[in-house]
Amino acid sequence: MKTERFNKIWILLIPFFLLAALFLVIPMVLMITSSFTSETTGSFTFDNYKEIFTNPFYYQAFLNSGMISIFSSIVGLILAIIVSYALTNLPEKIQEKITVYINVAANFAGVPLAFAFIILIGNSGALRHFFDGLNFPLFEGFNLYSWQGLAVTYLYFQIPLGILFIYPSLKKIKKEWKEAAFILGASNWVYWRKIGLPNIMPSIAGTFVIMFANGMGTYETAYALTGSNVNLITIRIAALVSGDIYARPILGSTLAVVFALIMILILILSQTMLRRVRRDLA
Amino acid sequence: MKIKKRNISTYLILVIFGLYMIFPFISTGLYATSTNWSNTLLPNDFTFQWFIELFQDSNFISAVTRSITLTLITLAVVLVVMVPTVFIVYMYFPKVDNFMKGLVLMPYAIPAVILATGLLRMYSGSAIPKYAVLVGGLFVGSLPFMYQGVRNSLEGIHSRNLMQAAEMLGASKLQAFLKVIVPNIKLGLLITTLLIFSGFFGEFVLTNLLIGGRYETIRIYMMRRMNENGHLASAVMVAYFLLLIVISLVITRITSSKKGVSNSLFKRKKRKQEQVIPPLSLKQLEPAATSEVKSNNEKRRKL
Repeated sequence: MKTERFNKIWILLIPFFLLAALFLVIPMVLMITSSFTSETTGSFTFDNYKEIFTNPFYYQAFLNSGMISIFSSIVGLILAIIVSYALTNLPEKIQEKITVYINVAANFAGVPLAFAFIILIGNSGALRHFFDGLNFPLFEGFNLYSWQGLAVTYLYFQIPLGILFIYPSLKKIKKEWKEAAFILGASNWVYWRKIGLPNIMPSIAGTFVIMFANGMGTYETAYALTGSNVNLITIRIAALVSGDIYARPILGSTLAVVFALIMILILILSQTMLRRVRRDLA
Repeated sequence: MKIKKRNISTYLILVIFGLYMIFPFISTGLYATSTNWSNTLLPNDFTFQWFIELFQDSNFISAVTRSITLTLITLAVVLVVMVPTVFIVYMYFPKVDNFMKGLVLMPYAIPAVILATGLLRMYSGSAIPKYAVLVGGLFVGSLPFMYQGVRNSLEGIHSRNLMQAAEMLGASKLQAFLKVIVPNIKLGLLITTLLIFSGFFGEFVLTNLLIGGRYETIRIYMMRRMNENGHLASAVMVAYFLLLIVISLVITRITSSKKGVSNSLFKRKKRKQEQVIPPLSLKQLEPAATSEVKSNNEKRRKL
């Protein structure tokens, strides 16, 4: 009787597993297998991987993506921590509202964001002209359509993303801890070093990894801003997969497999490291 | 004295941050309402000409229609499939539930570009229409948010206890689900739905890579217009963000309308609020497990 009931319930899960298989699992498996097939003969080969690891063009794409992501997540994380801390000092009611709007801002990425930055600090941007008119060389040597521009633009959506993760963990720090520490004679600096920071350190590390992964995976903003001027890993894959002239879907798949492996490795590494940090804390 | 000082720096930080966040919105708005903006800090004129032109452009209207159609179809699939699935997994298959929690990190491990690569690998040249593939891809992309959202709502209403109570009173599982669980998580569902709605509505990567210019959604239209006429493109973006702001206003209205009705409702509302801040961080996956243990202990105690 009981087993029959469970069987019935399993049946209701079929649509989900079917969709997941059709649009996630099987495509991923196919992508992996096709990365091992030859572009010309269709037989098994390692040539695609050989090409990726020997061609400096692809190596550079990973490096560029990595540099921009690291820059935007480190700077973004620092700013996110500062803003989150300021947020916790606000009255409760305003806090709730602001977090919703931060959510909207995190959605601002992509075409609109790229265009807004073009208007402001592009080649004939309003801010650029304004500072040029003042003879104040703030934007001299700055090129929006290069990796510098991408790093600045990424910051715009990385900061809200960071806040979304950092803010809840900052809220968990109890006022009582601070009071207790102060009563026992700790200075503000000692309190943060011994109590505050160790408490939020795991979530800072986790947030950094997520921001980094987010930066690595960004395609729309980079595509809208630079087309394919900057050699990024996502742009390279997209061009190989769907480009009209240079389409090489199998090589694109290989690149995507390597990219996915790197991302998964980073996430797993950070998870295990986090677990270790937490055990030490406990 | 010290408190006052801290308040000033708090507000200073937030004002600077707020300006930085709002600046692109303002510049887009100014660009959309002017015909000539170069060499000056502010535009020289003010006009609604671009908006009028925009709403007379049949391509724009059909792009919006396409985006809305795509969003609604996908949303329907997602809701119909995911709500029962998450419920069943949460209630009856705790092992699968533990596995599914890992889903939360999926969009970071498999960015949309990679998903599109796999989908193109499998379906390009096949008989399955690209549109169906796009809906499937969007479905996969929304899984983490949907799973997290529905699961949090279920946890928030103590649905295990509710189900037990309903079944004790003679309701079948289906009845209990439809008449007890669904009405109770309606609010949480609505918020999750609205968040996913704005995500689908502004989708670009999958649509562009899978179908491209042959199915021009609002974002793709935006991209094309951006290279043709910047002022008009700004007008598109302003219209788009007005819609997004309306959606987020609806979210705030919903989340704060419950305030102060009663203490228990207030508590429930608090939980819903947490959902809006997606609790996806690695660390936060654990409290869920502990509360599960707690509710299991409660059950044991009752028995």
